[in-house]
Amino acid sequence: MQILLNGLVSGMAIALLAMAFQMVYLPTRVLFVGLAGLYTLAPYLFQMGATELGAMGGLLVSLGGVVALGVLFEWANHAPLTRKGASEGAHLIASLGLYILVVQVVAMIWGNETRTLRTGLDVPYAVGDTILTQSQLLMGGLGMLLLLAVLAMLYMTDIGLRLRALADNPTQFALYGYNVDAHRLLAFALAGALATVASLLTARDIGFEPHTGLNVTLLAIVAVIIGGRTSLVGPIIGGLLLGLIRAQVVWHFSARWQEAATFLVLALFLLLRPQGLFGRETRIEATAK
Amino acid sequence: MNYLIHLLIYLDIYVIVALSLNLVVGYCGMLTLAHAGYFALGGYVYALSALTLGWSFLPALVAAIMIAAVLSLAVSLPAWRLKGDFFVLGSLAVQALLFSLLYNWFDAQAPLGSWSNLTNGPFGITSIPKPDLFGHRVADASGFLILATLLTLICAGILWRLKTSPWGRVLIAMREDELAARGLGKNTRLLKVQALAISCGLVAVAGALYASYVGYLDPSSASLDESILVLSMVLVGGAGNFRGPMVGALVLIALPELLRFLHLPDAQAANLRLAVYGLLLVLMMHFRPQGISGEYRLR
Repeated sequence: MQILLNGLVSGMAIALLAMAFQMVYLPTRVLFVGLAGLYTLAPYLFQMGATELGAMGGLLVSLGGVVALGVLFEWANHAPLTRKGASEGAHLIASLGLYILVVQVVAMIWGNETRTLRTGLDVPYAVGDTILTQSQLLMGGLGMLLLLAVLAMLYMTDIGLRLRALADNPTQFALYGYNVDAHRLLAFALAGALATVASLLTARDIGFEPHTGLNVTLLAIVAVIIGGRTSLVGPIIGGLLLGLIRAQVVWHFSARWQEAATFLVLALFLLLRPQGLFGRETRIEATAK
Repeated sequence: MNYLIHLLIYLDIYVIVALSLNLVVGYCGMLTLAHAGYFALGGYVYALSALTLGWSFLPALVAAIMIAAVLSLAVSLPAWRLKGDFFVLGSLAVQALLFSLLYNWFDAQAPLGSWSNLTNGPFGITSIPKPDLFGHRVADASGFLILATLLTLICAGILWRLKTSPWGRVLIAMREDELAARGLGKNTRLLKVQALAISCGLVAVAGALYASYVGYLDPSSASLDESILVLSMVLVGGAGNFRGPMVGALVLIALPELLRFLHLPDAQAANLRLAVYGLLLVLMMHFRPQGISGEYRLR
């Protein structure tokens, strides 16, 4: 039971980031690896803001800063590339370049060592016959609330409807007179906000350093593929499932084989069920465009 | 002078890496992130067969090439079904698996090279012997430079021959339009398997050279950062022809050496170098997607 809950909580972090990734991928078809840069930056901004303005101020500073950077990525990088008709490969490489740039600048300013957001020991709580820390409870509770809110936004509001329409067919969307660029910016901003929350909650639990971002983002991408990359619920289920699998691997084998197991799962899915758990079945040629 | 020889040896090694990667990226149009994994694999096979089996340079090199070429199936079989971004992700999975194997196949109790401690894990393999050719040990740097240049020329020659052959032209046809190539009765699946096997075999040569030159090998040479570095050599230099990857290798080897003259503290210099790589990639994608002197535009 303890392992199950631990897996679900760490899966929640993956699910949040996977949702952020999907927010960008579906409307824009950009494999947004630069998300890892946003994820890296968030806790540093929080710490900077928190020392001046307290925890609330830190949250605002990091949310604002990361969302602004995400929007800047789209405005200065992905939108011009799309206008030039660049390939998805070019988007991916440019995004990777941005990630490297952000991480190295962060490392140059704040240093390479691991830091923590929490002061002192974490407070444990007994839940039934299991023990969860305060950070884990925060992650589980806030993560679930936020994901439900995002889903509600996507399925119940006008903006959500428009984002889904953009994901379905950008050309048609533009023909109906909606502003494609503005909605893409919105998608990047939402992704930035989700990444900030995922990053801050993880940083509170296990600390943070500049170089973990890409690994976590890769996990999120794996979760998207497992869940189904045409689905909005898929990434959440995929993330939780991946968290559970990884916790089981740690319990039965060892933490060293976590990464290997994760990418084995990815390889199996890519070969046997490339559309994912919740994806529509389409030919790869048709969706790879 | 020694410094220059050292740089030239590195350049040789990375020219092999970039040219072999170019066969996959430039001629097949498939972005693979697993190349550093095969580079390290070649190095490990060489190091282990030289250290624990006592093989001389050539047999160890052949073993490295063979094993890397056979294991390239891990990338080429998924390439039958995965296109575009999803092939990139598939190759990333292979890269992560290779790294994780090299990093974790480790048991502190067992001796190096035994079944339960094949790679010595995070501590790496030390005191790898210098190459031993026909009973003559190449110990000094200038001798090694000659050997490395010779091997680079052989690899480049093989790739040049392939590129100008009918086989190379079918490869380009497949890159341009795979369906049409298949429609003409070309076996594109076999082509992908062959191209990746050759490419991984050649990069294993570079890995073996690296291992024998440096004398130390640890899993970080199979890391994702390394894969990104060699991929950016091909992309910055330009994919799809012979000049491009060489220019890319030259630029990315020379760049950190130039930054050295800025006299930054060590920690900052490493970060600055990587930041410049990142910026370079972004700028290239915007202003010159075919690379400095490439022909083929990524799609």
